[in-house]
Amino acid sequence: MSQVLDHKPLLTHEVGSLDKPGWRVKAYAGKPLDDKDLEEARTWGERLQVPEYKRLIDLLQHAPFTKDQKAELQRWSSLYAVRLEESAGLDVVYDGEQQRTEMYDWAVSHTNGFERRGSVRAFDNKYYTKEAVVGPISLRSPFHNAEFSYLVSVAEAELKIPVTGAYTIADWSFDERNRTPENLLQPAAERARQRHAARRDFVLEVARNMIRPNLEALIKLGARWIQVDEPGASTEADELDLFVDSFNASVEGLNAMFSTHLCFSDYNLFFPAIERMEQCRQFAVGFANYDSRELGTSDEARPGYQVIKKFRDLPYKPALGLGVLDIHSDFIESPELVRDRVLYAVKVFGDPNRIHVTPDCGLRTRSWKVAYEKLRNMTAGVRMARQQLGLPTAD
Amino acid sequence: MDLFSDGLLKWQDIFRPLTEALGVKPHILVRWFDTNTFFREPELSGRLATPGNPDGVVPDGSVPRPRVTTLPSPYMFSRAAHTDQDRNALMVALAERVLRPAIDAAVAAGAELIHLEDPWLGYVGIAREDWAPLTDALKILHRDLKATLAFHVYFGDAGPHIDQLLKLPVDAIGVDLIQTDIKELGSGWEKGLVAGVINGRSSILESPKSLVDVARHLADTVRPRDLYLSSNCELGYLPTPVAEQKVQRLGETAKAVKQLVSV
Repeated sequence: MSQVLDHKPLLTHEVGSLDKPGWRVKAYAGKPLDDKDLEEARTWGERLQVPEYKRLIDLLQHAPFTKDQKAELQRWSSLYAVRLEESAGLDVVYDGEQQRTEMYDWAVSHTNGFERRGSVRAFDNKYYTKEAVVGPISLRSPFHNAEFSYLVSVAEAELKIPVTGAYTIADWSFDERNRTPENLLQPAAERARQRHAARRDFVLEVARNMIRPNLEALIKLGARWIQVDEPGASTEADELDLFVDSFNASVEGLNAMFSTHLCFSDYNLFFPAIERMEQCRQFAVGFANYDSRELGTSDEARPGYQVIKKFRDLPYKPALGLGVLDIHSDFIESPELVRDRVLYAVKVFGDPNRIHVTPDCGLRTRSWKVAYEKLRNMTAGVRMARQQLGLPTAD
Repeated sequence: MDLFSDGLLKWQDIFRPLTEALGVKPHILVRWFDTNTFFREPELSGRLATPGNPDGVVPDGSVPRPRVTTLPSPYMFSRAAHTDQDRNALMVALAERVLRPAIDAAVAAGAELIHLEDPWLGYVGIAREDWAPLTDALKILHRDLKATLAFHVYFGDAGPHIDQLLKLPVDAIGVDLIQTDIKELGSGWEKGLVAGVINGRSSILESPKSLVDVARHLADTVRPRDLYLSSNCELGYLPTPVAEQKVQRLGETAKAVKQLVSV
């Protein structure tokens, strides 16, 4: 049964990814590092007070790196990311996928049944790699265990671990289990019926044979809060029931707190389908991207947040992870803007315990400097909101 | 292939070179229909600016001639934009001030087919009262045009719209045959048919033999004035190696169909 963890009102956390430092990317790829990379490692080590960071500087000066040294560099990157989030004042942290290639690629490349097909554009000039499912899906071995075990050993704040969800994995993959192309001379309705049946079968197979065993392994290691990332959830408006079924099939009967992350969608589409997602204790949703940058707590001042009333009215009363930072812009939200977005949400919900405060999505498209400033202002804005609401401002 | 394009590889989304010519800032990221691709909502609030030269729509000299140029349809452009204006008025203004100059530049650079893409109509639909302004907008694009103008509906079933589509002032109508039943197309078209027979959303490769059968069937039943074989949508949702194989098969299909016709 999905747990409800005892969290303070207006809990703050990240959502998923952070950019990978240049020294980590270059070292892992076997490319030469320059003084700028070392300076980056030194500057952030000092700023974040990373213990013994000089060992990292020393290690970076001894290229080429062995496989073990590359793994060690990934762990340093994780440590830096966790310290960045802790230093920014977040209540719940993660390492921003420093040990993963990327949320989709990492998952499918550790799973049987997939083959790589190549890159496609996501937006602007950002691309992602797509794979095709070509056979039965099974977990090669749990693929977040090493990451989680390391993070448990270094995180001082509470940990939350994100896992890419079944619907998104399926939606971002091609399905080549049946290699027969559609016969266009057949009635379109029959072809559509066959497509939907194959799609349902695919999504639920991912949920049962890939996601669920991974969640079970994490729970055995002590994971208490698992965020099922579903940025693809609303891609197909007529498949929201399937998204909900896949979430339920992934987590049903497992003992942890499960939340989900949704972003860059018309969130109205999720209703009423997610009324059946009782196991989801928090929805982390991006809103700032759609909002005004003006201050204010009226409906007119907060156009990006009008849909939150629907999350408020869900019968099982989940928390809302309120996205207050636009992750596609270097614009640094002021603490006052964060405060007003939070106060508006509290006013709508009437209960600060049901509001958590987050960026819209992972911050990997921003530099660490920008991400850090945004996160610091986010926590500062939450402190201002707590003060205004008469809530305790210290831990 | 009979007509060539650079695949819009340099375009960050279907609106970007046009909005850049307008000097407007791209707005927020919005999901592109039911894909995992996002576009920047064109910010077209207030009076439409006078565009600069639409150089971005013209491919470089390496693209063989004759060329096909793909542009957003005025209907889709006006619906996808962020605006405080009346969308039908915006549609006509976009046709006149943005799309027509772009089309003229493309034709001057060797485009013989202007392919207006309209997934909005296929996916979202269109209100009855919007057909007239759409017709007005397309008249602006079609007037004295020295190229073929095609209006391609995809990401949806074109069947319910066929009667209206065939009345539009364009030379050819494009249809997504993954979503549309061939039986819904009717017969005896006085326009060309751009038949979307290659599935741009699936990595499974089509068989040229099956596609030849489809082309023959379309020629026999729909009897369009001209038959163009194409993909049902952009191929940008496919990794390049897969897209290349699909284009190859499309070419093989066209070659086989032409041989049949010449017999």
